[in-house]
Amino acid sequence: MRDRGGPLNGIRVVELTKVWAGPYAGKLLAHLGAEVIKIESRSNLDEMRAYGGVDIDAAPYFLSINQEVLSVQVNMKTAEGLDLVKRMIATADILIDNIRPGAMERSGLDYESLRAIKPDLIQCSIKMWGSDGPLGYQTGYAPCFAALSGLTALVGYEDEPPGGMNIRYGDSTAGACAALACVAALHHRESTGEGQFIDLSAVETMTSLVGDSLFAANVTGAVPTSDGNFHPQMSPHGAYPCAGGGWTSIAVANEAEWQALCSTLDAPALAVDPRFITLAARLTNRHALDTEIGMLTAGHDAAELAEKLGNAGVPAFKSMSSLDLATDAFLWDREAYRMVSDHRNGTRPIIGPSWRISPDPPLVERGAPLLGEHNACIYRDLLGLRETEIDDLIARKVID
Amino acid sequence: MTTDTPRALAGITVVETAERVSGEYTGKLLADLGAQVIKVERPGGAPTRAMGPFHKGESTLFAYLNANKQSVILDLGDAGERALLDRLLQRAHALVDDHDDGWLQATGLTPENVAEDHPALVHALVTPFGQGAPARLQYMRPINVINAGGWAYHSPSETAPDRPPLKGAGRFLSDYEAGIDAALCTMASILRLRRTGNGQFIDISEVEVQINRIDAVLGRMLAGEAEPSDARTAYDMGGPGASFACVDGHVFLFMTTRLHWKALCTLMGNPPWTVDFREDWLEFDCTPDNVARFRRHFTAWIAQHPKLPTTEAAQKAGVAMVPVNTADDLPRHPQFVERGFFQQAEHPAFGPVEYPGACYRMSATPVRVRTPAPSPGADQQEVSHA
Repeated sequence: MRDRGGPLNGIRVVELTKVWAGPYAGKLLAHLGAEVIKIESRSNLDEMRAYGGVDIDAAPYFLSINQEVLSVQVNMKTAEGLDLVKRMIATADILIDNIRPGAMERSGLDYESLRAIKPDLIQCSIKMWGSDGPLGYQTGYAPCFAALSGLTALVGYEDEPPGGMNIRYGDSTAGACAALACVAALHHRESTGEGQFIDLSAVETMTSLVGDSLFAANVTGAVPTSDGNFHPQMSPHGAYPCAGGGWTSIAVANEAEWQALCSTLDAPALAVDPRFITLAARLTNRHALDTEIGMLTAGHDAAELAEKLGNAGVPAFKSMSSLDLATDAFLWDREAYRMVSDHRNGTRPIIGPSWRISPDPPLVERGAPLLGEHNACIYRDLLGLRETEIDDLIARKVID
Repeated sequence: MTTDTPRALAGITVVETAERVSGEYTGKLLADLGAQVIKVERPGGAPTRAMGPFHKGESTLFAYLNANKQSVILDLGDAGERALLDRLLQRAHALVDDHDDGWLQATGLTPENVAEDHPALVHALVTPFGQGAPARLQYMRPINVINAGGWAYHSPSETAPDRPPLKGAGRFLSDYEAGIDAALCTMASILRLRRTGNGQFIDISEVEVQINRIDAVLGRMLAGEAEPSDARTAYDMGGPGASFACVDGHVFLFMTTRLHWKALCTLMGNPPWTVDFREDWLEFDCTPDNVARFRRHFTAWIAQHPKLPTTEAAQKAGVAMVPVNTADDLPRHPQFVERGFFQQAEHPAFGPVEYPGACYRMSATPVRVRTPAPSPGADQQEVSHA
């Protein structure tokens, strides 16, 4: 298997993951240079290979996540298949799963059993509520994690029911935290030789993203609620309407920025309006201020206004639609988007990692794998099976 | 209050010159995992000490972000104190920073300088748009970043075109997301450092963290498999999933399959209006009209029902309906209590307080609040003489 460089070069990860959170953890580790082996089966597919198409090797969701991941087919419902999985785990540094609560244990893949096979294994299990506790049996989808976590309650317009983040929010962050914990555990193993079990709760991931609000609530007794775009130390602070349905975000923290805003919006009256004369006054009268600013921004192109404000020293940026994002020259130039190989079309654009690492950057060049694309190298090179043995396993659908 | 359990990052030293929440949260994640994180504060103290909410004259934000860290005060404009920073960096594994080019030039902490002066150091630099961004983009604030990354435009789901995009939960959502990637990369690179003796430079873009988190949706748009657009609903899923008001708060309901629908009908006692829906309507007849009609009926039903008993019964029946928990609910929520997510510890000004903990429970190296956030320069002596 090829050397892609990067900080996790030489680290092997086996993943039993589905949908988004688990695969996202695997992706991040792969994008840091780890060798990530995804265990798959035609009879128990990752749903992402099924959504949005009929070709499981060209499924849009799957291709958008699993770049630089290796795919090996194993039917874990057979004893032989399970044994092969255990042999792979015996060669791995890290095992990640996000399958249903109890499923790993039923397959004999609980941490205690696996430690007998690989004493210094790092195993990370991602579950909605974590691996134990009175509600540990429950499963759910990302918007459920967010609702349970306290995060949804803090997102919404003032004095309205909580709206929450977009319904897609939550899975990928849980995956990122899983990857983080696994790398932390690599350090402990590096120091002591000891592996460990990491019990990751997707709900708690979301809760940790509102940690400062919860801590402040505990200390002060003031319970936070959804607060629109309110900021206690900045005003104006929000997204303001622009031409053609566009919006521009503006955050003003001090007098110089306030003066620059009024001047750029050509609104000298605003600068001397007693309702808005100090930050304290602007905070008190923020709804009136938002209305005033909104009337001034409404005629402008959102991106042009943001650039003008930015150049004048006022933090401002257009609120980006999916079309804005997909066509943004800066993001393309910086290689936030990049091309990887694609079995059908030759190349495919993907969202690249949020990091650039140098020297020795991890290569991210290959698109998501075909189902079982790496069967040969994993069974032959990693487990040392002969071709005839592999053919036999295929014939008997242990490799399916 | 020192709790002596093994620490995942025992023996790792990190210097934090960061002064924004994205960099400070990176340092917090590393400190909570057990690294020695030396926070370098400017004379007068770190900017986050001046950010509320305040209690007994101290910033709760600073206390949250900087537990488990040490503090030194250095005037980096003073040659002698700048040299002291270099001495700290000589024995550190990593430097975590989040400043713009101007500050880096002024302090001599540009990536090039750091790499030359400290080849065995991991240098992580978290900025709004990453390296090479124009000056005006280098001082963007979290609300700008979450708008630049697309999540604000698409949040909440189903927002009407005339309502403003939202900043997300709290003030720092994009900072926390960026901190996760920065801490991940920093630890990965320190591992390589331990094995090879060589440092690396890590450039983290907060906006790119935002867009990476939506790979499964935006990635399909880049590839032409879904249509990017100016629709505020472009990330939505289109089903009936939403928050609903109940007797004593809100619940969130998520439904995508006929099994979910049948289970919900049973839970509600099969009211007559449900027969107007096809059994498989969620899969094959999930039109906006049907969603609206369903929500009308369900809104009336759930408004008469209490949050906890109804959602508990729903879970047992196979309905993905959950309570929308508030900040008040969590510290006494049985699952959070059982897992010990909130850790009680003593703070010198606040007294006994509950810190939200980590979302990963590590069997060998549990994350702990070991020491409260330091007073300014609390570790000056120890660190300066090391």
